Amino acid sequence: MDVGYQIPRASLQWILLSVLLVIAPQSIYMPIWISLIALICLLWRYLIFIGRLNYPSRLLRVVIVTFTLLISIAQMRSLGVGLESASSLLTLGFVFKLVEMREKRDIYVVMSLSFVMCMVAFLYSQSLLISLYVALCILVIIAALIALNRSSLEADAGSTGRMALRIALQALPLTIVLFLVFPRIAPLWAVPVQTTGGTTGVTDEMTPGDLASLGRSSELAFRVQFENGPPPLHQDLYWRGLVLENFDGTTWMRRRYRSVYGTAAERGNFQFNWENRILLQGEPLEYNVILEPTQQPWVYGLHLADPLSRNLFQSRNFEIYNNGLISKRFSYDLRSYFDSQTDLVLLDSARARNTDIPELGNERSIEFARTLRRSVNSDRDFVYAVLAHFRDNPFYYTLNPALLRDNRIDDFLFNTREGFCEHFASTFAFLMRSAGVPTRVVVGYHGAEYNPYEDYMMVYQNNAHAWNEVWLEGEGWVRFDPTGAVSPERIEQGVEAALQDDLAFMEQSLFAAVRGRFSFINTLRLRLDALEYEWNRRVVSYDDEVQVELFERLISEITEQKVLLLLIGLASLVIVAVGLSVVSLGPRRKLDPVDQLYLSLTAELNKIGLARKTGEGPLDYRDRVVAARPELAEIMNDFTALYVAINYKAPLKDEHIARKQLKALKQQLSNLRAVLSPLRSLRNQQ
Amino acid sequence: MASKFREQWQDRVYRWMRGRIKPASQVKLNQKIIYILPSGSGLVFITAIALVFIAAINYAVSLAFGLAFLMVSLFVLAIFHTWNNLNRLSLSGLPTPAVFCGEQIPFNVMVSRDPGRSHETLELQFHELPGQGQQTPGHSHSSFINLIDADRDQVKVFALARRRGYYPAPLLRISTTFPLGLARAWSVVDLNMHCLVYPKPIPFQMEDFTSGSGGSDDSNISREGNEDFYGIREYVPGDPLKQVAWKSLAKGQGMQVKEFVDYVDSRIWLDWDMYYGSSTEERLSRLCYCVLQLAKRSAPYGLKLPDIEIAPGSGIEHRDRLLRALALYGETGEQR
Repeated sequence: MDVGYQIPRASLQWILLSVLLVIAPQSIYMPIWISLIALICLLWRYLIFIGRLNYPSRLLRVVIVTFTLLISIAQMRSLGVGLESASSLLTLGFVFKLVEMREKRDIYVVMSLSFVMCMVAFLYSQSLLISLYVALCILVIIAALIALNRSSLEADAGSTGRMALRIALQALPLTIVLFLVFPRIAPLWAVPVQTTGGTTGVTDEMTPGDLASLGRSSELAFRVQFENGPPPLHQDLYWRGLVLENFDGTTWMRRRYRSVYGTAAERGNFQFNWENRILLQGEPLEYNVILEPTQQPWVYGLHLADPLSRNLFQSRNFEIYNNGLISKRFSYDLRSYFDSQTDLVLLDSARARNTDIPELGNERSIEFARTLRRSVNSDRDFVYAVLAHFRDNPFYYTLNPALLRDNRIDDFLFNTREGFCEHFASTFAFLMRSAGVPTRVVVGYHGAEYNPYEDYMMVYQNNAHAWNEVWLEGEGWVRFDPTGAVSPERIEQGVEAALQDDLAFMEQSLFAAVRGRFSFINTLRLRLDALEYEWNRRVVSYDDEVQVELFERLISEITEQKVLLLLIGLASLVIVAVGLSVVSLGPRRKLDPVDQLYLSLTAELNKIGLARKTGEGPLDYRDRVVAARPELAEIMNDFTALYVAINYKAPLKDEHIARKQLKALKQQLSNLRAVLSPLRSLRNQQ
Repeated sequence: MASKFREQWQDRVYRWMRGRIKPASQVKLNQKIIYILPSGSGLVFITAIALVFIAAINYAVSLAFGLAFLMVSLFVLAIFHTWNNLNRLSLSGLPTPAVFCGEQIPFNVMVSRDPGRSHETLELQFHELPGQGQQTPGHSHSSFINLIDADRDQVKVFALARRRGYYPAPLLRISTTFPLGLARAWSVVDLNMHCLVYPKPIPFQMEDFTSGSGGSDDSNISREGNEDFYGIREYVPGDPLKQVAWKSLAKGQGMQVKEFVDYVDSRIWLDWDMYYGSSTEERLSRLCYCVLQLAKRSAPYGLKLPDIEIAPGSGIEHRDRLLRALALYGETGEQR
């Protein structure tokens, strides 16, 4: 190969395009200088292509490789061995290989790496948009491979592109079958998933008064579909996340368990006989949730939720945890019992935990609570009294409250009197606890937007909410939402309705502001999200669990043999079908409609034993048929006359007349069929 | 050591194939004689599939599984398409013009397709015997052909003329990696093609070949001799009276003289014995050179070989006859 392999020029354009396409999504996650180097390499290759620059010399190559090695070591030190460092290393190697590729083998290394880069894109995101983008990338890569193997000068980019599309479409059936039936294998070794994006969503600490404004984005948190029945009312959509029990005067914290719930023993710690602590009533509601990645282990559910999916388990406070951080879109099924009651008997330890307040500080509030408690008869009345206090006094719901100082509860309750859900929930819990009523703070989401196009609900980050659960004698833990007392709109219609006049909030979600005004944008947004949801539900969250379910529906009992047989059978069936279609791909010559009609006529006559002989002219054939079956004379004469007229005379220029004649011919054929059918049955009887 | 073993092995494979493949002037490729294996690039691609698949397993990314399966499907499809790119092609050999030993023989191969099918980037190449191909730089040329619009096309496939005589074409290998290059399909056929290979001309200082009286090369006629009647011309005072054409004078045609010339024996004979003492091939090569040189002149020339003698003559056809005789010297067979 010393003679010098020449990369076909047409293919190099495709190759450069595909490299550019596969690197682009990575550049979001990579350090900027790596993207710059990638661009420089692409440009360099382009300059080689147009003859401005030469290939890198040996010295330069050695320098570059050393440089890359050093950089990657430095990166691994700073970022750790993870997805980011691996993908930037891969990108660097990829673009350097691109510059120095000369031979066919090199190009195939680059093209194969392009596929690997597509895979890396999926590690970051599996959204519909990225999927479509990767599909485009793959088309271009296939086109590059084709261009690489073409030598014809007649072959232009258009035909290469069409050929790529055809091959991709032909590859689809087998891909789908493999995707559906190929057994999913458990991870071979644990991989650290690292992303630069930090945790999102609700956190496990709450410090009201710390922030002057609450930056809640209009990003999606999760999507929910109710499977057996209509969704609950908006005011009942309290997506429970975490229970915060510990309060140190400023911050509410969850009870710390072990931070990683990796082993079976630790999980077993959570598994207790929870049926004893609850009283189930009413019809359960089943639903599926697709949670966006949060990098946190807990998930969200309504009221008392029983996890149906594997790897999910409940904590003592009926929170739901996943066995590991949620680093990618996560689909799970829950069953909620709306009329259930929990912890009808409260353990002393739990009571102690949920009535504990710091010994120092907020004396005014404590005094206020104890006075109020003494004025009413029951805990429940006390709850109502506190809520009435919030409602009847000038408390304001805003996302830009004043900062709270020293005795934060006192400051809020008697001084600033403005805040959002965290302030109200925190203050409410403090007041309850001051009077000795077990109360805890719950954080999660409230509300949802309904998407009518695929019948599911969307919950956004700005739906994040905090409320309280109060333990009442004979009722167990009961949910109360002090925010609702101040701003009923927030609970009934959502945060947007509550903050319609709040300029800061509208600035934060400009898109959200727009969507209320232009209904067609709103429709488009909902439709797009519906597509994305379907994509997630049907494709992205297709895992071994769903696979087993599918198999169970297809074949009642699953054995390994059956699955293997199904896999081999289906795959080979598709391979054979695709193979046959490829091999006999030659475009079949389309028969003229007139000829087609004539052929069906002879086929009909063949059934009564009057087949047309090879080389027999239509007129001779007619004469023979009429001689054998005089009753067919009229039809045969008409048909043959028309056929001969259309087929052998000068082609008609007038489309209209031609169509008319064709119609007449069809009519004749159906007449003939009608005449022939009794004849045929007669023949069969003989 | 290893290369020697490899050479021997390839040699054995070649001989085995040669024994198995029946020569035929036209061959239609079908599933019996088309072979297919992943190409080197295909192996690279398989490695990439493994990489994507392992990543899909470890990160449990659904779409990465999908990507891996798509790549598998592409690979399977590439095998079908590549195989199909050879399937139902017809190959036939066409006559090939003669060449000199040591030159590349442009064997003409006609490639035709079934109607409605399309074939691209077919690579034709002679299956050179190992160990011999390396002697010349850029040894086995491969030729490419496309059948996109035309139903048939001719392609020249080059093979080195290693010896003079009626030279059989080596086994012809037609292969393709189109469309994706992940698999290579090939077939080896023997189209029963032959090429006449003349001896390699060796230049040397030529002597004069004329036998009989000497004469210049410009003209083999020495004017005004007296042996043979040449023609009649007008009388010029001083012409000998002996040559006056009295008969035509009597017919009243004026004074004319008969012209006579002497013919020099200018016919050249190329003789096998002229290069006594050289080896057979060397003699043939020298004779070949002579023939080529003499063909540029107008003098007739003949050839004497131990088993054949060709009378002097001139012209291209004559030259080719001589060259053919030289090429086939010592060869037995009906091809003469």
